[in-house]
Amino acid sequence: MMTTSQSDHLVLSDVSVTFNGFHAVEGLNFKVGQGELRCIIGPNGAGKTTALDMICGKIKPTSGKITFEGKTLNNLEEHEIARAGIGRKFQVPSVFSELTVRDNLEVSYSKSTGVFSNALIFGRSADRDGLEKLAEFVGLEDYLDTPAEYLSHGHTQWLEISLLLAQDPELILMDEPTAGMTVHETGQTVELFNRLKGKHTLIVVEHDMGFVKEIGEVISVMHQGKLLAEGTVSDIEQNPEVREVYLGSRGIARA
Amino acid sequence: MSKRTTLQIATYGIVCLAILLVPSFMDDAFILNKYARYLVLGILALALSLSWGYAGILNLGQAASFGLGSYCMAMALKLRTVPVHTGKTGLPDFMVWNNVETLPWFWEPFYSLTFAIFAGVAVPVAFAMLLGSFIFRGRVTGVYVAIITLAALVVVNLLIIDQQRYSGGFNGITDLAQLELFGLTFDAYSSSSYYLIAISLTVCLFFALAVTKSKAGLILQAIRDHEERVRYFGYDVARFKTFAFAVSAGIAGVAGMLYTIVMEFASPTFLDVQLSLSVVIWCAVGGRQSLLGAALGAIIVTGMQGALSESEIFLESWTLIMGFVFVMIVLFLPKGLAGAIESLVDRIIPEDHAVQVKSRAAASRRGVENEAGSP
Repeated sequence: MMTTSQSDHLVLSDVSVTFNGFHAVEGLNFKVGQGELRCIIGPNGAGKTTALDMICGKIKPTSGKITFEGKTLNNLEEHEIARAGIGRKFQVPSVFSELTVRDNLEVSYSKSTGVFSNALIFGRSADRDGLEKLAEFVGLEDYLDTPAEYLSHGHTQWLEISLLLAQDPELILMDEPTAGMTVHETGQTVELFNRLKGKHTLIVVEHDMGFVKEIGEVISVMHQGKLLAEGTVSDIEQNPEVREVYLGSRGIARA
Repeated sequence: MSKRTTLQIATYGIVCLAILLVPSFMDDAFILNKYARYLVLGILALALSLSWGYAGILNLGQAASFGLGSYCMAMALKLRTVPVHTGKTGLPDFMVWNNVETLPWFWEPFYSLTFAIFAGVAVPVAFAMLLGSFIFRGRVTGVYVAIITLAALVVVNLLIIDQQRYSGGFNGITDLAQLELFGLTFDAYSSSSYYLIAISLTVCLFFALAVTKSKAGLILQAIRDHEERVRYFGYDVARFKTFAFAVSAGIAGVAGMLYTIVMEFASPTFLDVQLSLSVVIWCAVGGRQSLLGAALGAIIVTGMQGALSESEIFLESWTLIMGFVFVMIVLFLPKGLAGAIESLVDRIIPEDHAVQVKSRAAASRRGVENEAGSP
């Protein structure tokens, strides 16, 4: 196992969570450096999504400590964690289906989060052009006035990604961003992630190994709620433990 | 401003203007009073539309705010009646009958009309903020919100009935003075009261419209749509919902004060369960996602009820007819009358429609591509 992150942007130290006696995540230690793009892989039930849930506050850890930029997140509510600079993309695309694409973007552009400050904002936000460029960037410029419920699955995925870009958090958590995307769309996502790398810190949970190979610098492998291995694609591919628990005898290339 | 918003503001303006012009054609004081009553209930309905239609909070206790506002106004007007009505030492008559010796401390400030008008909004708002923060901090949603608000209404109602010495109990507060404001006297059976109420309706309608058109209004709609998701953008959902709940209560409080003026008394029936549930029906008929729709829904339904129950032919059957109308609307116009009119407008203004059709077609095309593309 090797540690590549010099700075401690996000640190999970000895984090565990138990649901009715079931240890979903147990003693997870995990560090991500600023501007890094980290992929998390692992078999079903390894605790990947649970780990993301704990970082963004959806689930409170039973024990251990999560810090982001030196700030402890354990006891913060979801919106406080979001304000600290963490954004999340969900496994099932989560957008506001009754609102238009434009309104979705307006909501996610959350520089100001107070009730009364927002009650005094009328019409389109100051960064209207920015939001429209964002829609263009993800190929939704023709759908600005379409309610999100009419978008295709792929477009909904792109919309949620663009919502995160409008939110502009330091750390972006992506849970299977390419699920349900076409080969072409997956290619576009790779391109996007490579552009985001460096500007944002990204943690991506993904099953698609081809995708991970394209974007991943450092891969963390989780198994049964613990970190099993960490390293580059070739490190992981050659790691006998990983081959055994996750990849079976088939090898990573064919996973 | 988008074309739709302009059209919407114009519609609101025209309807309000039409309402304001009614007394020019109608000088029957009795009928004007009746219409004014319907308008007040319209304000109550638009308040519910703000919390239910926009923020997704089904408040079955809307009548609590209405009643609190109504009692605030009644207390002030009671203290302004001529001495003959207020017992020996200037005490309200019902207190004398209940052997109350001195005016209770919480009645004292109501000698000031300004305070009463302030309290008529502030008391419901404070009550809603307290109740709302418990409900929404505790992340209570859906049908449980409806149950809690209904229970809260029953509690307030029982409390007022129980405190007969200070509230007049079942009888309420009757025999009130007429409101005098800015040198004008607002007789319940005159056009001045009608104008006061029509102007209040206009102000409340445009105020609520401004709330829904602000970014906070957009965030409320996002909360209605997908509450969980909103949190991860950094918005404190509980605060936004409490805000909508409190603004709605404030508007209901205004309606309550006006109701006291137009009815010339305050009664526990103003905050009973039946009225509270009727508001929900008015909103459903008019269209809960439209402020104007909800207000007109209340005016139409209460107007129809009034007309049917007063005509000899339908004396026996009017409740049956109203029930039939509600069932038909819920079945065939799930978004109420306003929803039906909106989809009609969509057809008349083709550009919006074209975009939707285009995108719908595109969406289904993408869907096919996706299926073909996935292994």
